[in-house]
Amino acid sequence: MIVVEDLYKRYRTDHGPGRWVLQGVNLVIPPRVNVGLVGRNGAGKSTLLRIMGGVDHPSRGTVRRECRVSWPMGFGGGLQGSLTGRQNAKFVCRIYGRERDMPEKLDYIQAFAEIGEAFEEPVKTYSSGMRARLKFAMSLAFDFDIYISDEITSVGDRAFRRKARKAFSDLVGRSSLVMVAHGESTLREFCDAGIWLHEGKAHWFDTIDDALKAYNDWQSV
Amino acid sequence: MELYRNSLRITLSVWKALLLREALARLFSSRGAWFWLVGEPVAHMAVLGLIYAGIRQRTIGGIDTLIWLVLGVQGFFLFRRTAGQMAGAIDSNRALFSYRQVLPIDTVLMRGVLEATLMTAVMAVILFGLVMMGHDIRPADPLRVLFAFIGLWLLGVAMGLIVSALSELVPEARQIIDLTMRPLYFVSGVLFSVGSVAPPYRDWFLLNPVLHGIDSLREGFSPYYHGVPGVSMGYLYDCAFIGIFIGLLLHRRFADLMVTR
Repeated sequence: MIVVEDLYKRYRTDHGPGRWVLQGVNLVIPPRVNVGLVGRNGAGKSTLLRIMGGVDHPSRGTVRRECRVSWPMGFGGGLQGSLTGRQNAKFVCRIYGRERDMPEKLDYIQAFAEIGEAFEEPVKTYSSGMRARLKFAMSLAFDFDIYISDEITSVGDRAFRRKARKAFSDLVGRSSLVMVAHGESTLREFCDAGIWLHEGKAHWFDTIDDALKAYNDWQSV
Repeated sequence: MELYRNSLRITLSVWKALLLREALARLFSSRGAWFWLVGEPVAHMAVLGLIYAGIRQRTIGGIDTLIWLVLGVQGFFLFRRTAGQMAGAIDSNRALFSYRQVLPIDTVLMRGVLEATLMTAVMAVILFGLVMMGHDIRPADPLRVLFAFIGLWLLGVAMGLIVSALSELVPEARQIIDLTMRPLYFVSGVLFSVGSVAPPYRDWFLLNPVLHGIDSLREGFSPYYHGVPGVSMGYLYDCAFIGIFIGLLLHRRFADLMVTR
């Protein structure tokens, strides 16, 4: 469960503090419910995910993570360019304190990512699709209660998307997913509930269809 | 996997992961990167040694010229590399901050630890080389030498902490390192004995803590060494600890700003 209370966020800019991206977001991500985040570009979807994932800090308000939450997948970052895919995977195993079963984890990541020989090459030589595959494989190698994903299902080729989809559907009932995607079909496929981020506030909908409807109604006005 | 680990265990595993990651990058990031760890100071010493020992004199202030030089260059390199590596730590590890366990200060501290380890190895290689060349490398006061090296390292840590924190707030701060290092090299007594500077000006040189470290090294090596009057290890440590305190304070205060951007 992730509890977000009265969350405010604005970024520093070169001209002092910027506009408020999030203004008083209150929400609870319940266990074992897949949640889709919708909103126009710049509504603060990625910001909210980053804050929930603990890699960014709120300007005001609190976030409580009462379970194991993944790092935000699909963002730039997370991979060190000068290291190989394997070395990056080892790094993540180590920071999660999984040194004992590291060989199995590495085998799993290598097999899932399906990037072949490139696993032993520096990440800076990877294409964006290969990076996405590796990052996705790394996050699935660990058991999280909540996976945070930003557009990860939209990168990669069709075969990989199908694989990602299957992996996510296998997680249903065990873990939950908080995701941002612009494809409505993707959201409908994965998500049960929805959150519409609008003018710095979060609106919770029990079904993703309602969330999309509210968002679309607003867009068409 | 156990559900929750305590903060200390998380930090320790992050430190271990970062240390290994940094060591890989430092030793194998480019072809022969490991060679230049030793090669750079050795080349430096070789050129200076040729000029000093070959042309000028056999001893400086009562100590073997080559030893005098090696201590000066190594002492200064230890300080400079530690400070420089730590100052760049946050920038080169930015990608890893998408794991919330990894904090900016972790990357900075681990680079400092790695540099100390590497410089110890480099020093061992160089001392071995000196023995092979027939120099007497036994220090008269090993503890004093050790503490002087540690003091110089701590001073590098202090500078690295401060600059790494400041450069996140004011991007220009990285220039400070480049700007100060060059003149610092000259006023630290690496190249000439500050003892030969006339008294009113010598006191200005003595404001520089690096000089205290380097001359303490030499004093520890030979009891007959007459270096700069007024050199004290206490001053070096005072500067180092005050600097580390300020550096940690900056990191604590501005930790949020560093990852956020």
